[in-house]
Amino acid sequence: METLVFQGLVGLSVSMYLWLLAAGLTIVFGVLGVLNFAHGSLFMLGAYFTFTYYGLWGVNFWLAIALSLLSVAVVGYFMERFFLRHIYHLDHAYQLLLTFGFILIFDDAVKMIWGGVAKIPPMPSFFEGTVSVVGRPFPFYNLFIIGTGLAVAIVVWLLFEKTWWGKMVRASASDREMASAIGVNIPTLFTGVFVFGAMLAALGGALGTPVRVVAPGIGAAMIIQAFIITVIGGLGNLKGAFVGAIIVGTLSAYGILLFPVFELFLIFLIMAVVLMVKPQGLFGG
Amino acid sequence: MTESKKISRRALLKAATVAGIGGMTLGLSKVGEAASPKEKTPAQTKSKKKILGVDVIKVGGQGVISGAHADYGWQIQAGAILAIDEINAKGGILGSKLELKFMDEELKPAVAVKNARYLATEWGAHLLFGVDSSGSAMAIGPILPELDRICVFDHASTHRLTEELVYGKGIKQIFRIAAPVYQESNMAALIFKDFPNIKRWAGIHCDYEYGYSVWALFKDTLKKYRPDVEFVSIAWAPFWTMDFSSHISAVMAAKPDAIIATPWAGEGVMLLRQALMLGVFDKIQAWFQCMGGSVDILEGISREVAAGKFKDKLWATARYIHNYPDAPENNKFVASFRKRWNRFPNYSAESAYSTIYVFKAALEKSRSLKTSDLIKAMEGLKLMTPAGERFFRPEDHQAIYNVPGGRVVIDPNYPIPILGDLKVFPAQAYYRNPPFEALKMDK
Amino acid sequence: MKTRLAILILVVLLALLPAYAGKYALYVAIHILLLSIFSLGFNLLFGYTGLLSFGQAGFYAVGAYGCAKILLTYPSLLVGIVGGVVIAGAVSLLLGFLCIRHTRIYFSMLTLSFGMMIFSLAWKWRDMTGGDDGLVGIPRAPLEIPGLFKINMAPMENYYYVVLAFAILAIYLFHRIVHSPMGLAMQGIRDSETRTACIGISVRKYRLLSFTIAGVYAGLAGALLPPLESTVTPPLAHWSHSAEPVLATLLGGVYSFSGPIVGSVLFYLLKDIIVRFTEYWQMCLGIIVVVLVIGFRGGVVSIFSRKGGRR
Repeated sequence: METLVFQGLVGLSVSMYLWLLAAGLTIVFGVLGVLNFAHGSLFMLGAYFTFTYYGLWGVNFWLAIALSLLSVAVVGYFMERFFLRHIYHLDHAYQLLLTFGFILIFDDAVKMIWGGVAKIPPMPSFFEGTVSVVGRPFPFYNLFIIGTGLAVAIVVWLLFEKTWWGKMVRASASDREMASAIGVNIPTLFTGVFVFGAMLAALGGALGTPVRVVAPGIGAAMIIQAFIITVIGGLGNLKGAFVGAIIVGTLSAYGILLFPVFELFLIFLIMAVVLMVKPQGLFGG
Repeated sequence: MTESKKISRRALLKAATVAGIGGMTLGLSKVGEAASPKEKTPAQTKSKKKILGVDVIKVGGQGVISGAHADYGWQIQAGAILAIDEINAKGGILGSKLELKFMDEELKPAVAVKNARYLATEWGAHLLFGVDSSGSAMAIGPILPELDRICVFDHASTHRLTEELVYGKGIKQIFRIAAPVYQESNMAALIFKDFPNIKRWAGIHCDYEYGYSVWALFKDTLKKYRPDVEFVSIAWAPFWTMDFSSHISAVMAAKPDAIIATPWAGEGVMLLRQALMLGVFDKIQAWFQCMGGSVDILEGISREVAAGKFKDKLWATARYIHNYPDAPENNKFVASFRKRWNRFPNYSAESAYSTIYVFKAALEKSRSLKTSDLIKAMEGLKLMTPAGERFFRPEDHQAIYNVPGGRVVIDPNYPIPILGDLKVFPAQAYYRNPPFEALKMDK
Repeated sequence: MKTRLAILILVVLLALLPAYAGKYALYVAIHILLLSIFSLGFNLLFGYTGLLSFGQAGFYAVGAYGCAKILLTYPSLLVGIVGGVVIAGAVSLLLGFLCIRHTRIYFSMLTLSFGMMIFSLAWKWRDMTGGDDGLVGIPRAPLEIPGLFKINMAPMENYYYVVLAFAILAIYLFHRIVHSPMGLAMQGIRDSETRTACIGISVRKYRLLSFTIAGVYAGLAGALLPPLESTVTPPLAHWSHSAEPVLATLLGGVYSFSGPIVGSVLFYLLKDIIVRFTEYWQMCLGIIVVVLVIGFRGGVVSIFSRKGGRR
């Protein structure tokens, strides 16, 4: 019993990275109608920037994270403003293709700038140590990640439900033309949403830096999981992304504990079943 | 109707032009080499003065140079370049200089095969070497007879390469210079058979053939010495696993006395770091990191080792470690490598470096670049290399040499951790011998 | 007339390729032919029917593994190839039933998941597929019809002619398909589903047909691979492999007949040549993709042709 609880908690911490990644992806799809294949690359860039600021230049950990969010925001701005904006009117296929092109570019760009070898940053000392959960040591860092993920969920919810910007975003998502008619500057809003989504992904990458490999290709490796989560939760649905991330993260953890053989196949099977039976996802309407 | 036909026609015209240009480009690239496509040996400006018949001996290599495992390709390249420069400075091999071309296998067998074909048939490599991934090695092996080239494998560790392809199928063009999976699996068993308090073993393994074979071989050998041992838990981690927390907590639930782990390179470092975070080293008695003696892992965990976090419980081996043997060949190699590249040589660097010297020894013996002559020269070849004396046994073309296992420790003589408390066992004793039974690998 | 002449010149050039090209060039040419077949099938689904599949590599792999398993037990080339194609066709028909009810993003995601399910099966089902090591030692079996002839395939030139013959057959069949009422129906569905349905065409039936044919073509390309490489491994089913016909077709021209073929030539040559000079071929490819999507959605073919690509 304790084993299951503990494993579930571990899975929950893994889910939080997935949530941060999926949140941005689903917001961008819901508002802009674009499925950004290169979203995982933004996650990867968040990790790389944090490695540089914190690991190489010795900047304070929190400041390093803030700086990498800003850096990725700039990258996201350029991506949306100068490239994605031109293809909103096109078939989804072209958006997938364009963003796929970006995956290729980013993977090699990080190789060029940082080298192809995996980066190993130092571990911030204030994160060492464990907390005893059901009699077993649970890393303080993982608790921090769970806390941060939950905090982000609350902040994002507040942002979209209670603020004026959030209301504009939701309005534009449901009816672009009407929103524009009442004076919302759609292009600017879209850029803002895209950048926001990018920063969420970057946050996920940045937070993972002390404990996960930073190497070219980690973005592409994660994007499929993000797709799966947004599909399960419902494309464009934030609550769905949160729940979907928890489902995928904890199921993986339990899979490793209980059914080591079938994990990969199962995840894709679930995605296929959801797509066939309820394509709008668990929470989509 | 006419509209689409018009497009079609133009498109076809353009397609014809493009295809034609493409074909000619490829064809033209052969013109400079003045060879007919039927010729077997790669086109070279023939040289009557050189014993080997060419001015330049072309050596084609490949390794992984991007991703979480990229350091190994870099090391192979670094070791090879060092050896080639040393040999060329002394006049080359029988008067002919060496030239290297190195390509990225991208951890994909299809790419590795394409590279091998390109190097051998288009670029004109006389000799092939390298290859980090076992999958790539298994794909390249069978085409070597068609390419009529030998390939010395520097890293790929699957037992199947030598057992099945060389011994089983008689593909004599394959040679392996690096220790295969016999090394880590048996070393762990041989070291820990003498720890009576360690009875419950768990494994965190790569979810591909490497992990399956190490786990199977380890269990086989340990059981022979210690029938009282139990294997209580196993977790499988595929390529691109970034977060091992679930795997670690899964196996720790079974309360093992010790853990053996195969994830390597960048993944290995992160696995160890996450294990530290989960307080594993307070609970277990020992952790055997299979390729933990590899320079990139030692560099990656040096801060933690220096701080004593592993509580002297971390053990490892590799396919060569820079502090063994303490002999002139090795010390000279390590010193030159550090001077040139400002890093310690990894086992893949040592393999590549020794590979070039093996080529030299073989060519000096055969005095010919013909594959069949080279094979004869290399079978049974004994050569002193930095890792020790290597012997290429004729049965399966596997090089036999001793590599120790030990505890990961800090030594004042080295800026990065090393393996200390070395345990050396004669490789001859634990390498498998023909006739080979297929390895039963459970999941 | 001009078209016929162009095709004739092309076929002659290709037939004579072994005479003036080196061994490696021949190897590359075979791969280009395989990619062309793969992309052609893909484009029936995408360019002509309007469905973007990111899982075609799954059918490619089924064709490859199918042929490999056959050749390992019964080394006769035609049996292996035809067997692989038939199995791939059956699987795509089956999966097609499940996939074609959905469109656009959902279709793409669904095909992605099925493709990756095939990938994970290939990786995990060691007993059947050899796992991550794959199937090794597949013979380049002789081309034979018992009682009539038996041609040794060991020289690569011979195998090249076999692949060329299949490619020409595949292209010819494709031409017949797209210029048939079936092909027109598919284009109608692409352009407007509602209108096409209104004139009594079963949207589902033609989508399924298109999907299955695409799967057959992918399976053919896959089945022709094992005799060439002697090894088949799981990455053949991975979504990143599915991206190849997508990129090749985009490069050549989505709305043209020869686009996938032109694109395959360019894509393969580009990658092969770029990789000799720089390790950053991915970036070069990525930049080309971005430029094409922003500016030249009709692909290379549209640059040369006056009519250009639509949309």
